[in-house]
Amino acid sequence: MASVKLTKVKKVYDNKVVAVHDFDLDIKDKEFVVFVGPSGCGKSTTLRMIAGLEDISDGTVEIDGVVVNDLQPKDRGIAMVFQNYALYPHMTVYDNIAFSLRLQKVPEDEIYEKVTNAAEILGITDYLLRKPRALSGGQRQRVAIGRAMVRNSKVFLMDEPLSNLDAKLRNQMRAEIILLRQKLDTTFIYVTHDQTEAMTLADRIVIMKDGYIMQVGTPEECFDMPKNLFVAEFIGAPKMNVVNTELVKEGGKYYVKPFGSKIVVDGAKGEMLAKAGAEPGEIILGVRPEHIVLSKTAENAIPCTLEVNEMMGSELHLHVFTEDGTRLIVRVPTIDLSHEERESLVRGKKLFISFEGKVMHFFDKETQKNLLVEEE
Amino acid sequence: MKRYSDLEFLKLSKGQKFTYKLVSFFASIPRAIGRFFLGIWNFIKKLGTTIGGEFADIYTTFKNGDWKTRSSFLVMGLGSIARGQVLRGLLFLLFEAVFIFYMITTGGYWISMLPSLGKVGPHEEYNEILDSYTTVYGDNSFKILLYGVLTIFFIAAFIYTWRLNVKQNKIAQEYEKAGRKLKSGADDLRSLVDEQFYKTLLALPLLGILIFTVMPIVFMILVAFTNYDGTHDGFNNALFSWAGWANFKTMLSWEGGGNVYSATFGEVLTWTLIWAFFATFTNYFLGMFVAMMINKKGIRLKKAWRTILVLTIAIPQFISLLYVSKMFAKNGIINGLLLNWGWIDQAIDFWGSTAHNALLPRVMVIVINIWIGIPYLMLIATGILMNIPADLYESSRIDGANAWQQYTKITLPYMLFITGPYLLTSFTSNMNNFNVIFLLTGGNPINAAASSAAGSVGYTDLLITWLFKITTGAGAQYYMASVIGILVFVVVAVISLVVYNVLPSIKNEEDFQ
Amino acid sequence: MNETIEKRSMGLKASRTLSNTIIYIILIVMSVIWLFPFICIVLQSFRIESTWNVNYVVPKQWGWDNYKALWTSDFKTWYLNTFIIALIVAVIQTVIVLCMSYTLSRFRFKLRNGLMRFMLILGMFPGMLTMIILYRVLKDLGMTQSNAVPGLILVYIASSGMGYYVSKGFFDTIPKSLDEAARVDGATRAQVLNKIILPLAKPIVIYTILTAFMGPWGDFVFARYVSFGTSSGMNVAVGMWNWLTPDMINQRYTMFCAGGVIVAIPVAILFMCLQKYYVEGVTGGAVKG
Repeated sequence: MASVKLTKVKKVYDNKVVAVHDFDLDIKDKEFVVFVGPSGCGKSTTLRMIAGLEDISDGTVEIDGVVVNDLQPKDRGIAMVFQNYALYPHMTVYDNIAFSLRLQKVPEDEIYEKVTNAAEILGITDYLLRKPRALSGGQRQRVAIGRAMVRNSKVFLMDEPLSNLDAKLRNQMRAEIILLRQKLDTTFIYVTHDQTEAMTLADRIVIMKDGYIMQVGTPEECFDMPKNLFVAEFIGAPKMNVVNTELVKEGGKYYVKPFGSKIVVDGAKGEMLAKAGAEPGEIILGVRPEHIVLSKTAENAIPCTLEVNEMMGSELHLHVFTEDGTRLIVRVPTIDLSHEERESLVRGKKLFISFEGKVMHFFDKETQKNLLVEEE
Repeated sequence: MKRYSDLEFLKLSKGQKFTYKLVSFFASIPRAIGRFFLGIWNFIKKLGTTIGGEFADIYTTFKNGDWKTRSSFLVMGLGSIARGQVLRGLLFLLFEAVFIFYMITTGGYWISMLPSLGKVGPHEEYNEILDSYTTVYGDNSFKILLYGVLTIFFIAAFIYTWRLNVKQNKIAQEYEKAGRKLKSGADDLRSLVDEQFYKTLLALPLLGILIFTVMPIVFMILVAFTNYDGTHDGFNNALFSWAGWANFKTMLSWEGGGNVYSATFGEVLTWTLIWAFFATFTNYFLGMFVAMMINKKGIRLKKAWRTILVLTIAIPQFISLLYVSKMFAKNGIINGLLLNWGWIDQAIDFWGSTAHNALLPRVMVIVINIWIGIPYLMLIATGILMNIPADLYESSRIDGANAWQQYTKITLPYMLFITGPYLLTSFTSNMNNFNVIFLLTGGNPINAAASSAAGSVGYTDLLITWLFKITTGAGAQYYMASVIGILVFVVVAVISLVVYNVLPSIKNEEDFQ
Repeated sequence: MNETIEKRSMGLKASRTLSNTIIYIILIVMSVIWLFPFICIVLQSFRIESTWNVNYVVPKQWGWDNYKALWTSDFKTWYLNTFIIALIVAVIQTVIVLCMSYTLSRFRFKLRNGLMRFMLILGMFPGMLTMIILYRVLKDLGMTQSNAVPGLILVYIASSGMGYYVSKGFFDTIPKSLDEAARVDGATRAQVLNKIILPLAKPIVIYTILTAFMGPWGDFVFARYVSFGTSSGMNVAVGMWNWLTPDMINQRYTMFCAGGVIVAIPVAILFMCLQKYYVEGVTGGAVKG
């Protein structure tokens, strides 16, 4: 039940390596914010600075309007779930969850109440007297969450809580975290390197790279209007196809010329380009794999050759080469193709692909920034 | 020297690869040495700038300081008290008071005597009451040196504390200006069990190390530059005084007939290194071998074998080693049994006390050291061997390696990698392995050629036992013991430095992980 | 085809039996060598026909005389001295080592690396060098000769912080996230040490106690310095060493054997009981380097 405000937060290590540059972020009360980015981007460091586990080199962190820079972790009113769970191996599940309450000298019957309550919610009542060693990965994860739950903290921090679980369990726990969030109704800050987790859990995503914030926005914003090439490629799977091409303006209309073809940028994107006053010239064009369609005919289409066909079940990922040797990925729902068509998609098959103007993303070749997003 | 790219290197023949590696190793030595001295130079430079920075900071603190800060330059802790940090302030003040009191009462005397190490020695003086000449004792060189060193430590501590006091004032003043709350005495105390807990934990251990290790070492280094010995004990018979580098010259010079020490030193050092080499590596390989035998699949009673061997660790060495040394005596059990069985006609002089044959006792100490050392290595090797991933062996078996190849290509490299640092420490501690030598042979047989130098050196004496011999008895030459000690340090340090820089476990920490 | 495989597997089995037999032979020989001196010392402690170092193993006349003689000699004092020293040193040294190693493993303070390097360099000086001055200092404090016990205790524990290496290696293997979780949960650093780290560090605590306890039983050099010819201040090592000097050996040899048995049995039993922890400490320390 608290807001978190980071102002020009900076982390410099002893060896002068800067892990986080001037990090500014306002997290509203009860918001679920996800820090996402490749490893080494500074997301965990930022979280640990909020937790008080790392010194803050510069800037301030406020929780509920109070500067907490000089406070010890225990005095910041936070709870945290660690990547490797960090369960105390010598204590039972019950003692693990009760640990923080005992330190606060809460009466034992109240502890009992709270711990069993949390265990109930998490479905670990049967394991309360076991040691962590005797639990499965998913159960350990629940204990770790339970330990954080009973603290009644203002902010809930989670550092890659699902990355040690296998894929199936991860999906399940993800859903449970959504439920948990509804029950706890508090502020969440969640760190992950998995964009799917970020997209599904977050109210707002913070995408980071090399210690800088790349974009802050809702999952939709990040997906539809990536601020720059990095975000565009990071969000969405398989990742966005990008190609160097030329933007030309003829008769008030914009055209792009990838792979020797010439495609008009019509509709909303065309208007936005005009509004942004985009200059014709070299640009980077991005198209998501799911926005490319297979054409039946060569008309208005780009010819290419199939290299690999990945059958994913509900969809196919086709890796194709255009005539100039660019590799593209095309995502086709399996249901759109007949059995014969699917059978025919073997290596070397000639295909025709096309995409429309409204699915295109345009990035400056130098700055890699999205041409359609205005600087703040 | 021509540098090959990785791909070119792969094409070389085995011999060429070896030569290339050898040449590049030697070619890298000058650079390594250069780096070493560059490191020292950088350290000095950094030290210089740090000290300069400190002075500049002290100056600006004073310039920008308010009256509270400025007054603290003279009366430590005044600023802190004025700002409400009473506990801190009082501690500073107390320290200053104690320091001044000490310096006036005794400290000043010790410091003033330090350059001469005492002026008045013990002498005869006429005593009116007894109506005869009695010995009157004067200064005490030993105490002067000891307390002089302590006083210097104390002065350094005072300077550090004074600097801390100035820094505290600067920070407090800044906090005051910014309107932030200063830490109270209660906060200070609380932080000693939390974020500053390390200070609490380290205080006692470091104090012990400072007084009982650092101070004696500094003292003994200084003794190497004096003439402190049995006949100059600094109080009872004569004062001792500074001698400059004279002792080092005696120890190391080869000039003229004065090379008794240097020749002995060379001889003892050579044997020390030979001993350390054999003691380390015989134990290492045999211990590993035994561990592998016991660990082998299908061998039963693993625990029993280990327990039997571990007996030599469990039983105090002075019992086992002393007893074994007597077993091998001329009238001992071993000779007795061999004679009874008719294997020999005459008792073997294992310790060579009369034969002056140095080789046999030397071999004996190495062999008996194996008896003591194998179990230890066996334990270590067992732990490591069990940690070698089994799939390495499985994949090598599929690749067609036999047992010997598995040993040379997997087990040994793995062991060497993991135990590299251990081997280094075990080598240096074997150099200083007092117990085994002293309890087994006492350094004997006497090296007649060398024993004209102090301490009657024997053939099995290590530097450390020689050092010990020099410090006992009336003819004790403490200054020479100190010189030997310093030289031992130099040898150990050089070996450690060189080995540390070529050890793969330091260079590529992740290789086997 | 099948036959050749069968043949090979037969060969494999035969060669395994052969190699195992060789290993058993080596191990048996080694066990004999390892046990022989200890068996001798026990047997000779019961020999009463002579007190000399003799050239046969089995006594001709058996008896408890040597043990009785121990009882009337100064051995009791030495034994008690050593036991008191070992006990006190074991407790205090363990506390100091644990403080030191926990701190160096968990805290990142400014002088940490410098401190560790400094101690590494200090360790390269031969410890024997410092004995001379420590002896003189103890003498000034009145802690030598008949008062050697407190002096020895003081010296043994004073520098024990230097031996932090093995247990630091162990602490390093306890995940840091446990500390962090506990701190987020509301524990101070001191509580982290008490409630989380120490319970998990049981093996290394026992290892430290064990080695600290065993150390004083074998210390010879410094103890001899400090007690310097005063029997009431000696420990067993110094006292019994004197029994084997040339002018004493013929009267005291079998007593030495009996004393050795009395000293060795409790220490060895303790060691054997706690062997598991010792192995953990030794291997952990060596592997961590």
